[in-house]
Amino acid sequence: MRFTFTEEQNKFRQDVRDFLQSELRAGIFVTKSGGLAEGSSQEFSRKMAKRGWIGMTWPKQYGGQGRTYVDKLILNEEIFRVQAPVAYHFLADRQIGPSIIHFGSEWQKEHFLPRFVRADDNLKFCLLFSEPNAGSDLVNVAASATKDGDSYVIRGQKVWTSGGHQADYGWLLARTCFDPKAPRHESCSQFILDLRLPGVTVRPIINMAGRHTFNEVFFDDVRVEKRFMVGQENDAFKQIMAQMDYERSGIERLMQNYPIYEKLMESIKQMDKIKVGEAFYSWVRDSIAQLEIEFNIGRLLVYYTAWTIDQGRRPPKEAALAKAYCNQYEQRLNDLATRILGPSSLLREGTPWAAFDGELAECYLWSPSYTLQGGSVEVLKNIVAQRGLNLPRK
Amino acid sequence: MDFSLNEETKMLKSNAEKFVKEKCPSSFVKNILKEEKGFSEALWKEMADLGWLGLVYGEPYGGSGGDFFDLFVLFEEMGKAVLPSPFFCSAVFAGLLINEAGDEKVKQEYLPGIIAGKKILTVGLRNERGLYDYQDPAMEAQEVGEGSYRIKGTRLLVPYAHVADEIVVCAKLMKGSRDCGPTLFKTKSQGPGIKVIPLNTITGEKDFAVTYAEFPARQTDIIGLPGKGAAYVEKIMPKLIALKCGEMVGGLSKVVDMTVDYVKQRVQFGKPLGVLQVVQHYCADMTTFLDTARTIAYQAASLIDAGLPCAKEVAMAKAWCSDVYKKSTQIAHQLHGGIGFTEEHDLHLYYKHAKTSELDFGDSWYHRQKVAEAMGF
Repeated sequence: MRFTFTEEQNKFRQDVRDFLQSELRAGIFVTKSGGLAEGSSQEFSRKMAKRGWIGMTWPKQYGGQGRTYVDKLILNEEIFRVQAPVAYHFLADRQIGPSIIHFGSEWQKEHFLPRFVRADDNLKFCLLFSEPNAGSDLVNVAASATKDGDSYVIRGQKVWTSGGHQADYGWLLARTCFDPKAPRHESCSQFILDLRLPGVTVRPIINMAGRHTFNEVFFDDVRVEKRFMVGQENDAFKQIMAQMDYERSGIERLMQNYPIYEKLMESIKQMDKIKVGEAFYSWVRDSIAQLEIEFNIGRLLVYYTAWTIDQGRRPPKEAALAKAYCNQYEQRLNDLATRILGPSSLLREGTPWAAFDGELAECYLWSPSYTLQGGSVEVLKNIVAQRGLNLPRK
Repeated sequence: MDFSLNEETKMLKSNAEKFVKEKCPSSFVKNILKEEKGFSEALWKEMADLGWLGLVYGEPYGGSGGDFFDLFVLFEEMGKAVLPSPFFCSAVFAGLLINEAGDEKVKQEYLPGIIAGKKILTVGLRNERGLYDYQDPAMEAQEVGEGSYRIKGTRLLVPYAHVADEIVVCAKLMKGSRDCGPTLFKTKSQGPGIKVIPLNTITGEKDFAVTYAEFPARQTDIIGLPGKGAAYVEKIMPKLIALKCGEMVGGLSKVVDMTVDYVKQRVQFGKPLGVLQVVQHYCADMTTFLDTARTIAYQAASLIDAGLPCAKEVAMAKAWCSDVYKKSTQIAHQLHGGIGFTEEHDLHLYYKHAKTSELDFGDSWYHRQKVAEAMGF
């Protein structure tokens, strides 16, 4: 057992750090929480592509590097440490590409994978899963894809579509079997949907932080060629089960507000212990130590999950457990930080008194979404209990 | 023990509940927050006409000489709508300070106007971190001549400074290099040497930074005795904290109602969410938080009303309410799912209110120290 990295891995980490630091020095981006939600730059993605950092774990035959998930995690840890703007290619790298590799046709593999790896034009993806009546109950999707000759006609709507207003493509879950007697889990298919097709309407939803990052997406008789269906008809949920492990297991679930942690530690270092009083400082010490413990454990969980994937094992329980654990840590970090810094931490950007230029206030307003997006903590705990511990389903 | 409300209080509470429900729907509140003024003049006048602003003040000033407990239930009802208004900063904080510290002349000069809603006052008692520093103010009032001072310093989170006629501050009175102690000054909100800067708050409520640079003040601007400023604030602090707890209990009750309603009607997996045991337990937790917050806050208000010593009870109330209101909004967000994360929904009003209330006047850690002190530790 070894909890340290190899020399090669350390060198890789340093290479990534050096690249990111030089980008930071050149003012290409700034380190601010929420980079993933709002930081899309094809130019930056191209730079990563040139270094072989997109599709790192994919087989070489598809343009990948055939590297390990642990290596990919090292890359992502450094990315999220500084909140580099990876949104253009992130979904493609995390789950679209892997899904196409596992379940896609040869045509889809040739058509998409090499272009993902190069961060070519018009390849930003969004996920079209949730609907107003299909949140936790994802199987209840009503958006339909009806076969019509060489196409499917898509009707219905999606909601909470992050980045839908900037995406070129959507990864769509739609109902393809309308037989009420058919098993619920075998009635949907996944499609790669070009959002520029006629009949697609994207409408903004403003979130409680006052920001526009997610959307409603409406499909009004959108014709998609059948070659854009992924794998077999009605196989969606089998495919999704595998995809969820990738979506859930990443370090972005632990580090989407990482700059808050570093800035908090810096603030504590600057604290005048006499001025704040011994008792308060003692509480602050205890609090930051607890956060450090929780962060380190979260990091180990995420690395363990990546290592499990590298061993060739599927980690449904580990991915679900890690995501639930990490998202809860992220919320606690924001909450404790506001208490340590006091009321000025609740000022949004615009004046010099706002702690961290308003970043913490912003993060506190985003906090409720951490334990909901990508699978709520409650759903994840069900997976841990039922698939991890074999506790009986109802 | 008697947990019932007397008839007058019941009537006031019920009228206030109706008033707030009818006149302050969430759309109204959200619109106010978008506007520059940050409060409804029409509603403010109605509240003044109903006698709410003068509830606890003496009749010679236009008040109704009512009980503190009644003011507390009023704040509970207003808390249900998270209604933004200068009520707290003007008719409570500034008003009580003037009532406590001022001589008859200054009380006559200010209280009637405050009570009629014609004058709006506010308080600047927080330092640049947003913490109350009246015990050792970062602000200074330097004597520069006979009865003449220059005030310098920065105050943060001054509510409604942009519409306030005057701002009450607590500054360290300096005669030469002699620290003569914290002293209350009233200051005009406009003029040379003063800048009022809007702050971008998470709630959207109108708070400001106010900077003073060589701001001229006279002897007659001092409220009460020089050097006694901290004592005056300390004297009214239990009332301020209790009212804040009342407001928090009101907000928390709405969070519980809203969430229980939602899980009764939101269907997933073919059934309302409310049939799930984990959901029921979350709701049971929230209502436990509500009942406990309510009872500990009511106790504090009741003891204050009776004039009984209650430093420990006030601290217990603020410590408890700070934690459970916030926790309840977190649970509510989990149960509401995506819809609760939208601006269009109302839940975020309470989530934000719970956090700002938690940090206002000291969070649970701060008040646990007070409880421990009161216990002799």
